[in-house]
Amino acid sequence: MAGLKRRYHPLQILFELIKLIKTAAAFAVFLFVIKSGSQSVFITSGRVIFFLIVGASLVFIVLKWFTHKYELDDTSFHLYTGVFTKSKRTIPFSKIQNVKYHASFFHRLLKVTSIRFETGMAEESGTVEFTVVSWEEAAELEAHVTKTLDEERSVDCGTDELERNEQAGNRVIYFTPTKKDTIKASFTSLSFLVLIPVIATLYSNINDVINVEEKAAGIFPYILSSEWIVILVVVIVVIASVVFGIARTFLKYGKYEIAADAERIYITKGMVEITSFSVLKARVQAIEIKQSALKRLLGLAEVKLICAGSFDSEETADTSSLYPFLPVERAYELVAEILPMYQVTPEMARLPKTALPLRLLWPGWFWIVATGALGYFRPAVFGIEQSWWIFSVMMLLFLIVHRLLAFFNARYMLSEQFIQFRTGSLSTNLFVSKRDKVIEVAVTRNVFQRRLGLASIGTINRANPVHHTGVNDIPVEVAVTFLKWYMARRNEIEVE
Amino acid sequence: MCVQLNVPQKRLSKDAVKVWLIREAIGNSIWFLILGVTLYLNHLFSWKEWIGWILIGIVILSVPFTVWSFIKPFLLYKNWRYDVDEEFLQLKSGALIEEYQLVPMTKVQAVATTQGPLLRKYGLYSISIETLGSSHGIPALPKEVAIALRNQIAQYAKVKEVE
Repeated sequence: MAGLKRRYHPLQILFELIKLIKTAAAFAVFLFVIKSGSQSVFITSGRVIFFLIVGASLVFIVLKWFTHKYELDDTSFHLYTGVFTKSKRTIPFSKIQNVKYHASFFHRLLKVTSIRFETGMAEESGTVEFTVVSWEEAAELEAHVTKTLDEERSVDCGTDELERNEQAGNRVIYFTPTKKDTIKASFTSLSFLVLIPVIATLYSNINDVINVEEKAAGIFPYILSSEWIVILVVVIVVIASVVFGIARTFLKYGKYEIAADAERIYITKGMVEITSFSVLKARVQAIEIKQSALKRLLGLAEVKLICAGSFDSEETADTSSLYPFLPVERAYELVAEILPMYQVTPEMARLPKTALPLRLLWPGWFWIVATGALGYFRPAVFGIEQSWWIFSVMMLLFLIVHRLLAFFNARYMLSEQFIQFRTGSLSTNLFVSKRDKVIEVAVTRNVFQRRLGLASIGTINRANPVHHTGVNDIPVEVAVTFLKWYMARRNEIEVE
Repeated sequence: MCVQLNVPQKRLSKDAVKVWLIREAIGNSIWFLILGVTLYLNHLFSWKEWIGWILIGIVILSVPFTVWSFIKPFLLYKNWRYDVDEEFLQLKSGALIEEYQLVPMTKVQAVATTQGPLLRKYGLYSISIETLGSSHGIPALPKEVAIALRNQIAQYAKVKEVE
């Protein structure tokens, strides 16, 4: 594999074609279907331009496949791009933070996948991506990269290579969801509600073509005429949405697998679309344990790994998350099992009582503005004249409850190597990081905090984009300890 | 907080206050010029009544901001401290909201000195420091200090951590 310029997979042309068809389809429909009878200059010239662009794209796609090449040697990727303007990029393996597979439905159909090696650079150019590659080749690529990396690391750490390889080979599966887990997940994620927007879009799409409303006008009075039919329809809709929700959850989270060996964590998910993510344990920047209000009620939690390379796009947002619906205790166990270098300490300090009045008395700007507006316009909702101040009081109560919850939920902990914050009101977020993974810290105090002996602390961790966390209104002595704690990071860091 | 830590002691150049005052004066004049022109146009073309009220409101609101913008430079200068050593860049600033930042030298990616026309008039430079996480700046230092500091940071930042 090494030292040879290679072209990408020929199927890449097909995938690019599909992409082109997808983008061109909307224009084509507009130009040739909707405006099919039009003879206006705008439309006719639009058609000519359409063919020119599509034709040029076709030629470009083929040329691109002929000119774009890649090469691997013992240390880096070399990527050759550009049809007219040639460019060469070299990306050393040592900068790669995590590896991501993503096989869409089309990929699965053709028995191929895409693979991304992410470096955590802000620009897309920091990522090495093979949009189409056979599974075997992807595995080979990954093996080549990781092998080189492991060799480097074992030289660095001075461990016996044999012993290391033995360890690395033992990939253990730590978690796969049972049917019960998935069903629980589908209710927790409220997936049965997903059917409503789906039906709504479907309905409006159909309505565009044939006028359903007119044709179905007679149906509604008929349904409402009998109680039995109403109940029947409601039951059918409820069952359909539950089935749809569960099916969707099964497709998304049904086949989830969290595995790890001595060096890496592997997360694989999806039935039809397969996404898989792997990261070196040593490169996990921080972990987050997230609980929404509903998850807190049901005792579930999501564990998220914060990694430098992973760019959280829509599509892959929860790839770096261990199963999002883990029972809380299992979540803590899993962290201890797969990331032994991280310790989550359940006992944490609460905020000092002096912080409560500060938090409650802090002006809620939104409430002030909203009350001002309500007081000015005095809308009489449901014909009740006093409704403007009822709304204002309700908002104030909501604000107070929110602040009380946030105050009582807030926790912090500093230990030898770790820092933990918990924040949030209805949903909570527990953040755990290590001193050497925190790349910057800051302490801030406003005028009132200074009077009350309080301070806010904040940390920055590597991620893409960088991850800010912190906790407000802790005692100033703790903030000082925090700064000293951070200054002592020299104990852990290794310098190149 | 300051008693227990060896907080940074180095200060900005005293001329920084002058630079900021001039900058604020220019900014404020432009702002009031725009407001004046709008008010005049309003008067000339007699726009809707509420526009006039909004304009007057903006003028009234602008006054305290203008007063504040001429106090701010003094407070900013009084509270700005920085320091560098082999391990950390330390920045402390802010009168109403005090902020103390600790940036490890190993995480510094780039450091540069820049100078605009106002800074040049007083022979000052500002320093900008790019890190993995964010960017920081030291607003106004005398030329020799700024260049020495830039080189010093560049020297310290050569050391990188094993990731």
